[in-house]
Formats: sequence, structure tokens, C-alpha cells
Amino acid sequence: MADKVKLFVNGQEVEVEAGKNLIDAIGAIGIEIPHLCYHPALGADGNCRMCLVGIEDGRPPLVPACKTRVAEGMKVQLDAEKIKKIQRDIMELELINHPIDCPICDQAGECKLQDYYMRYDGKPSRMTVKPVLKAKHMDFGCGVVHDQERCVLCARCVRFTRMITKTGELGIVNRTDYARVNIFPGRPLNNRYALNVVDLCPVGAMTSRDFRFKQRAWFLTNSPSICHGCSKGCNIFIDHNREKYKDDVIYRFRPRLNEKVNGYFICDQGRMTYKLENDNRLTTPRVGDRDAGFDEAVESVRRAVSQAQKTVVLVSPNASLEQMFAVQQFATAINAPLSGYSDGYIKQGDGDDFLIRDDKSANRASFALLGIDATKAGFAAAVGGADLLLSFDNDLSRSLSEAELGQLLATVKLVMVTSSQTECVAKAAVAVPVASYSEDSGSIVNGEGRLQRYEVAVVKNQPACDLLRIVHLLGGEVTNNQEARVGLQAAVAVLKNIDLEQVPAEGIALTESEVAHVAA
Amino acid sequence: MQVQVLSTRFDIPDANKIEVAKQHGAYATLDKVFAMQPEEIIELVKASGLRGRGGAGFPTGLKWSFLPKNIDKPVYLAVNSDESEPATFKDRYILVRDPHMLIEGIIICCYAIKSHAAYIYIRGEYTTQVKVLQAAIDEAYAAGYLGDTVAGHDYKLDVTVHRGAGAYVCGEETALLESIEGRKGQPRSKPPFPAVEGLYGCPTIINNVQSIGSLPFILTNGADAYKAYGTEKSPGTHLFGISGLVKKPGMYELPLGLPILEVIEKVAGGLRDGRTLKGVIPGGSSTPVLTPEEAQTVTLDYESMAAHKTMFGSGGIVVLDDTVDMVKLVENLIYFYHHESCGQCTPCREGLGWMLKIVKKIIRGEGTTADIDLLTELCDNIEMKTVCVLSAACTMSTRSYLNKFRHEFEAYVTGGAPAQAAM
Amino acid sequence: MSDRSQLIETGKPFTFDAQRDAEFERLVTRYPTRESLILPSLWLVQEQEGWISAEAMAYIADRIGTFATMVYEAATFYTMYNLQPKGKNHICVCRTLSCYLLGKQEIVDYLKQELGIKPGEVSADGQYSLEEVECLGHCGTAPVVQLNGEFYEDMNVAKLKELLATLK
Repeated sequence: MADKVKLFVNGQEVEVEAGKNLIDAIGAIGIEIPHLCYHPALGADGNCRMCLVGIEDGRPPLVPACKTRVAEGMKVQLDAEKIKKIQRDIMELELINHPIDCPICDQAGECKLQDYYMRYDGKPSRMTVKPVLKAKHMDFGCGVVHDQERCVLCARCVRFTRMITKTGELGIVNRTDYARVNIFPGRPLNNRYALNVVDLCPVGAMTSRDFRFKQRAWFLTNSPSICHGCSKGCNIFIDHNREKYKDDVIYRFRPRLNEKVNGYFICDQGRMTYKLENDNRLTTPRVGDRDAGFDEAVESVRRAVSQAQKTVVLVSPNASLEQMFAVQQFATAINAPLSGYSDGYIKQGDGDDFLIRDDKSANRASFALLGIDATKAGFAAAVGGADLLLSFDNDLSRSLSEAELGQLLATVKLVMVTSSQTECVAKAAVAVPVASYSEDSGSIVNGEGRLQRYEVAVVKNQPACDLLRIVHLLGGEVTNNQEARVGLQAAVAVLKNIDLEQVPAEGIALTESEVAHVAA
Repeated sequence: MQVQVLSTRFDIPDANKIEVAKQHGAYATLDKVFAMQPEEIIELVKASGLRGRGGAGFPTGLKWSFLPKNIDKPVYLAVNSDESEPATFKDRYILVRDPHMLIEGIIICCYAIKSHAAYIYIRGEYTTQVKVLQAAIDEAYAAGYLGDTVAGHDYKLDVTVHRGAGAYVCGEETALLESIEGRKGQPRSKPPFPAVEGLYGCPTIINNVQSIGSLPFILTNGADAYKAYGTEKSPGTHLFGISGLVKKPGMYELPLGLPILEVIEKVAGGLRDGRTLKGVIPGGSSTPVLTPEEAQTVTLDYESMAAHKTMFGSGGIVVLDDTVDMVKLVENLIYFYHHESCGQCTPCREGLGWMLKIVKKIIRGEGTTADIDLLTELCDNIEMKTVCVLSAACTMSTRSYLNKFRHEFEAYVTGGAPAQAAM
Repeated sequence: MSDRSQLIETGKPFTFDAQRDAEFERLVTRYPTRESLILPSLWLVQEQEGWISAEAMAYIADRIGTFATMVYEAATFYTMYNLQPKGKNHICVCRTLSCYLLGKQEIVDYLKQELGIKPGEVSADGQYSLEEVECLGHCGTAPVVQLNGEFYEDMNVAKLKELLATLK
């Protein structure tokens, strides 16, 4: 447990964590010190001056909270009239040259200037002279659009490209109130994390071309979840909304803080995987050439399984731990070999030393926990002599060449239970739509052995059936996630002492050796 | 009234050349210096009462003593030759007329603070001056006063001239360090202070050219000889610059403590014929202006200036007579500070621009009393809320004109002053 | 100050000439970090070409091994770096405090009329460029003018006329 320090805030004694700056320490006990340029991942810059607080008997008596460490007995003044006046004055100076773009600015509703104006200012404008004008809607590359007039020159974006991605595409040029953010001519943003500056920017100076003008922030429901773009398992917010007469649709992913996984950021590619949840979905079941009802399609699969000489069950590395357990139980029950073959989901060499992993699936580590073979040899052996391949959301066209797939499907009938219209779906004899992860809940284990939980975010007008339930309809015993978890805790050694019903927000680290041990 | 302590060799032809300088005593202190302990030199400088001549007036010896002991990082000296404060024009005389005095001072300082690398930050506009300075440094290297064995002693010292490129803010010590490191001259938050974490993250002393240039005299003649000039709390001499509306503007070395009006009259020849005194800027454009009444009791030292709610600053005196339009003068000054703001922090960057627009509005004849009040209030709102004191330099001086010459601003508002086009 | 961020591209790559190249390498030995070379390098470019193009900035950045934006920031921050070609005779008139009190406006107005350009501009024939600059540190001999870096003190319109005559 961290050391504690006792100090005073507005005359009240409080206990805060030692070693932190005043913004973080006092923020942790629920008292806000307004700030624009400080960010925990980027450190303190001290340029916005919004976090100035009084220190009674202090030398100096007025300090930026971002640059001031807590000290025993420190007397912090936040509510004193002189500090309140400073906050109003700084806000006034932030706003005199700030364009009143709110009606057309994406940031409205999640804008620090709006929030701080309401909380700390509220005064009418005294600007009777012309404001400073700069460039607007500039294309910075990587889908980032910059507005120099809205910019408060907090330098968060510059510090991000210098300290985090170390690509340095952004800088603040000129001096005095001619200062503005810009890219060097011919060297736009060009890194795989560029869109994080949109989240970092406290105002609407950095917007995402993809999200621009699409939805107002206050209509969005922010559902916590986990990105399934790769095995890093970055924590995200799924921001979605159901407009009147329309369906519940995802408008964007944003990073969610998890100090143990992704910190404050996500990669651009992962950020854009929200489109996979919205677009190109398999929504209508198909039997043969014609569209069918759900019950009819499920019945068709049941019949195919009972009539097949040898069924092979293929499970996806994106399935949740609970789904994998249910599928495994089902495969055993129908005496079918089970494979997780999905080599095509791994892009060798694509990962980096930050958040991107070679393995573009979210839960491959659970194969090892459950002893599910995913080798190509194992798959080849499994499909040898098989006449039915039942794939639960595993897109074989990613792992087999067109020729190989064609050869396989010449002798094996394919049933796809999946959420999206992949190549495989077109080649399948029966296609059954299933809920995607954003519409479902479950546990996944990332490539570093951390178990995390995600809950239902999106609820479609016509919700698709979830995968575990479809397995049950086909004859599997496991009826829901809770049952699966009970079964998992009994069956998997490393999960025995974990309460899968109470997974903390930061996840649970299953030790690497234990995961490997089970796999071996 | 003039004296020669720093300017002893200024009028000797070719005193910037090492042979001439040496003939007249340059580098004579070095054997004595190297025979002393560094701590002894620091004590000597403390005893002399020498105060920083860049404008802050911080006791030089005391500043050196802030360096941490037993450091495993190199210690640096940065010599501040940025000299960009309007009304200040003294350091360049040292650079051009007696650069070897500066180099000798650098050697003394570096030995005392245990530094082996000094950077002289010279403003970019000093084109002729940098050439003379570099030539003198080259001569010093050739003669063995710089390099691996300073004056034959087992002490290495390198001096590098680093040119600025047009930024007054680089006179601020941490902005100066940023500039040497290759970045924009944006001041750093303090703490940490440069003595602990300065150039390249290492302990650094930053001193003004004149402060360093004062060291050979102190080492040669002792602390008491230095204290024989000036006042008790403001000992020594200063290269005062007197400019503006006087008959004999120029640079004059004087002991501290003389009455300002007497100096203006007797040294600078007084006002032009037929004119009356309207105000005096005592120590550079950033210092609050004095009315003629106030100036009566002002002496040229730190204490008297503070007592009159202004500052000794860089000793750049500007004389204002009855022809001066104080409102337009304020516009000229705010324009300067706004132009020089580094743009890093909100109050200075946005606030100085706003102040400039307001004073221009007043001069155009479109101003109201509310604008004068707003201008005054902005001085309070901006001052001391920023990373460095450039904003205070603007607001403290502007406030003094608003307080002491408010009637001139009001005249613009009521239409009494001719609403001429702003500059 | 103005917006100096619209850089000019020459369309040709830039490189130091032999003299500047040698001086760059010499300067590298004077500083513990290569980034310290940014300001001196910008001066070297300006010595060589008279002004600094986008290509020159990119060259400096790559040569030093730093981000182009670092060089871009410094080049636009420090106003003495010419980011566009100046006239053969570059005239800077000090506009601050003592020079203002002692008649810099007369000098500026005369030059505007005589050269046909405003401060910040270059004459059409490329012979002259004019700039108003902040305090040059020669207040005792105000008004002060710099011509291609040389100081001309105690200036007035008459002396300026003489000076311009020598340039023809």
C-alpha cells in the first residue's frame, strides 16, 4: 500500500497518497483542480496556469498544482476568493481568442473549456477588439483534423508525438499569440497511434475525420469493453447511441484507462475496429441458397450434425472463455474433434513494443487454458475423413488459401455460425448469425496472461442470439455464462482460486507459468 | 562623477587585443586565483557584495553557493550577454572594448564553481560584437588562457559562444538554457533551479556579462576596494546607460548610490533646451516610471529604487520630457513585450495581445473609461500568474503609467488628445 | 511578429557547402548534445544562402538526427532567421523606447517612401528589404539602424540619405 500524507485542503485535513502531484493526489479524494496541459501519461508542462493553487505560508504562495508534490502539513487553498478569481481570469484569457465554434464543434459536451467555464467562470465576454485568427480544419494526416483557433496550446499533442510515439510530427511554431500547432511541410502525422491526440486534446482543436459531425457526445452511451483487434486487450469505451427510429450503432471507440494493460491509449487500427461491429454483419440466417428463419437454420444445423459421418468443430480465438468452454463441452458430447486453427489471424512481425501485437485475435491464450489444439497439423488430422465442418465464428479464409479452402469444401460441408459476412460465409451451406462481442459479455485472456471481463454494450433492435446459447440449442449442456464459469473454475487449474464472477476493472494476472503449464 | 572600475581599459586603443590588454593588466589575477581554494573565491565574491547586474540584483556569491556539493555531473557557466531590455546598452562595451576582462572573469568564476565549460549567450543582433568577442577568445586559446591547461595550471576550460537569433525572452536564465540546448526560448518552471538542474540537466550558474566582468577587479583589489564604491547594501559600480531626451546620452560608469536627477543633469547634460521633465524610467523599460517629484528623492541603488516602488534593474535610465505622449509610449512598450512573449503560457500569450489591442483602441479614439479600467485590471490579472516574469515586466511598467499618467489616457477617451493614428 | 509558419520550398534538396560543413562538424565537438546544433545550424544556412528554406530545415533535422518540427519550431520562434529571401540591402530600424522617442518613425516613413516598400517587404528589384525590429541595445546613440548587420548610430533622415547613396 502506498504511503500516505496528511495535508489541508480549504482548511480541512485530508489524507492523500505520498509522492504525487497535487492534481492527482487531491483528485483521487474527489476534489478537482482544473487543468488543461497536465496529463498523467505526459507529465506536467505548466503552461495553461489553470491549476494555480494557493499554499498558505508557502514560498511561493501561488504554485501550479501539477508541478507541486504533496508535503506533510501543506495547506492548499482552492476555494479562497483569490484563487477563484485567478481561475476566472485564466479562463477569461483562454476564451478571448477562442472561436465560439460550439455549435459546430465535435468537442461540445466533452470540452474542458465548456466545463471549466460553467464551473469556474460564467462571466460575460469583455472582448471588444478583434480576436486572433488562425487556420481551421487542417489535414494533419492519419485522420486527424486540426483547428488552430480552438487550440489552447497545452502542447499535449506535441508531447504525445515526442514522448510516447517518438515520431515528433507535431510542433508549436512562432511565438506570442501567433503560436500555433503545425506539422512540418510534407511530414504529416504518420504513426499507428496518431488518433490518440484527439482524445488527449482537451478542446476541439484535434478532431477525428472519421467521427467528425456524426454524433453529439451527450447522446452517446459510454460502455466499458475490451478491444478485440489483437491480443493486447486494450480497454476501451464503446460509444454508441440508438437514434430515434434507428438501431443502436457504435460511433467510436475511445481508450479506457487500465494502468496494467494499455495505460491511456489505444492504437488507431484497434480504434477503427468499431466499424466491424457496425458494418458487414450477418443478420439474416441462410440455408442453402435461400434466407431462412433462425429456428429453421438452427434446426438445419442440428440435422446436419446428427446426419454427419464425422463432424469437426472449429472455434475462434476471438471467442470468450465461456464460449470456448461451452463449445468444447459440446464437441466432446457429439464426439467431434475440436480445433482452434487460426494461423491466419497472426500477422508475423506486425506487432511493436507498445500496444500492437502480432496476434490479431483477442483470446488465443484461452486455447492453452482449455487445452484446445490450434495447430495446422491438428486441424488437418481433424478434417481428415470429415464431412461436416461446424465453425463457430472462425474465418478459415484467413488461414487457408483460396485453393486450400476450395479443396477442403469440396468434400466437407461448411456451417458458419458467425457475426460477420466473411468470405467463408458465402461458401457455407448454412449461415447462422450470432451476436458480436460488443453485444455480448464474457471473459478473455490477453497475450500477457491477463484475464479481463467485458459486458454487453450494444443492444440491437433485433438482437442476435449469443454464441453460447446457440451451442446450447444445438445440444450443448452449458446454458449460460454463469454455468460456464462454474464449469471453468472446476476444470481449469489456474482458475480454481479465482472468482470469475468478480473480476476487478484492471483484470486478473494469470501467471505466465501457469498458463504455459496448462498448455503443455 | 564617473569612475573607472570596469571601464578602465575601454578607451585604450586595441584593448580588445590580448597583447594590449595584458600590457594593462589582463589575466594578472590568474596565478593568485589558482593558488586559492574555490570556496575562498566564493567567499571573497560574497564579501564584496557584488549583485547580479542583469537586472535582478541577486547577490552573485550567494548564487554560486547554491550549487550542490559533491556533484557527479559537470557544472556549467552560462554568461548572459542577451542584453535586450530596452534602454540597456552596457554589456556590449565590455564585449567590444575589453573582452579579455570578461574572459578573465569567466576563468575566475569557472574555477570557483568547478566548471570546465562556459557558454557565452550573445544576442543575435550583436553582429560586430560577436566577431570581436570570438577573436579575443581565439587569442586566449592561442595564448593558453583557455583550453586544456589554463595559464599553465592543471585546469581545463572551454568557452563557446552561442548566438541567439532575436528573442528578448532568452535573457531569462532558463529560456537562455533552452536556447543553448537547441529549443525555443521558453522559460522553465522553477523549481528546479538552474544551480541544481540547469544546462543539460546539470548544475549551472547563469551570470550577466557585467557581473562576470567585475570579478578581475575584485580579485585584484579585494572585497573592500569594491565596497568602497556605492552604498552599503548596493556596493560597487555600474555601467549606467542614459538615453532618451537628454543632451548627452551615453554609457557612463558610476558608483551606485548617486541621486538620479543629479546624474541626469551633470553626467548626461540634462534636458534639451526649453523642455521640462515629465518622467524618468530608472532601470530599463520594465521598471515602473518615476514622476519628477518622486525622482527628487531617488538614488541609483537597489534599496532606494525599491523604496520608491520601482527597480534598479539594468540601470538603463530613460529621460522623458514634456513632448512625450505617455499613452503612445505605453503602446510602444506593450508592443515590445507582446512581440517578445514566448507564447508558452496563457496569461502572457493571450493577455499581452489583448492589452495591446486595448491601448491601440484607446489611441484610435474608440476607447472608453471601461477600457482604461480593463487595462489596469489586466495588469493585475496577468502579473505573477505566469511561468516567468516577462509578463510582469510589461504589467508593472504599464501599471505605473496608468496610475501616474491616467489623465493622459482619459484625454484620449474624452477626445482631448488628438486621436492620431497608432504607430 | 507575424505568422512565420508558411515555409518556402525551393524544390531542390539543400546541403551545406564545404565551409559550412566543416564548421558544423567543428561545432558538434563544442556541445554535449547534437540538438544544441539547431540554432548554430540555422545561422550557417543563413550565412550560406541568405535565408532558410523548408528543404534546409529538413536537411538540418536529418543531419543532426532530430525531428523536423524541432528545427521548424526554432526557425519560426527566433525572428532573426530569414524564412524568405531578403533584399541585397537589408535595413532594420529599431522601433523601441529611446529610438521611438528620438525619431525612428521619421526614418521608417522616409524609407517607405524612398524604397517603395513597407516593413516586412522586399523591393521588386530585390535590392532592398525593410524591417522594424525591437531594441538593438544602442539606446545611447538612438535612433539606430542596421544595414546588413552593421550598426549605424545617431541616424536621421539626412544621414540615411547619404547611406543609401553609397549603396547605389
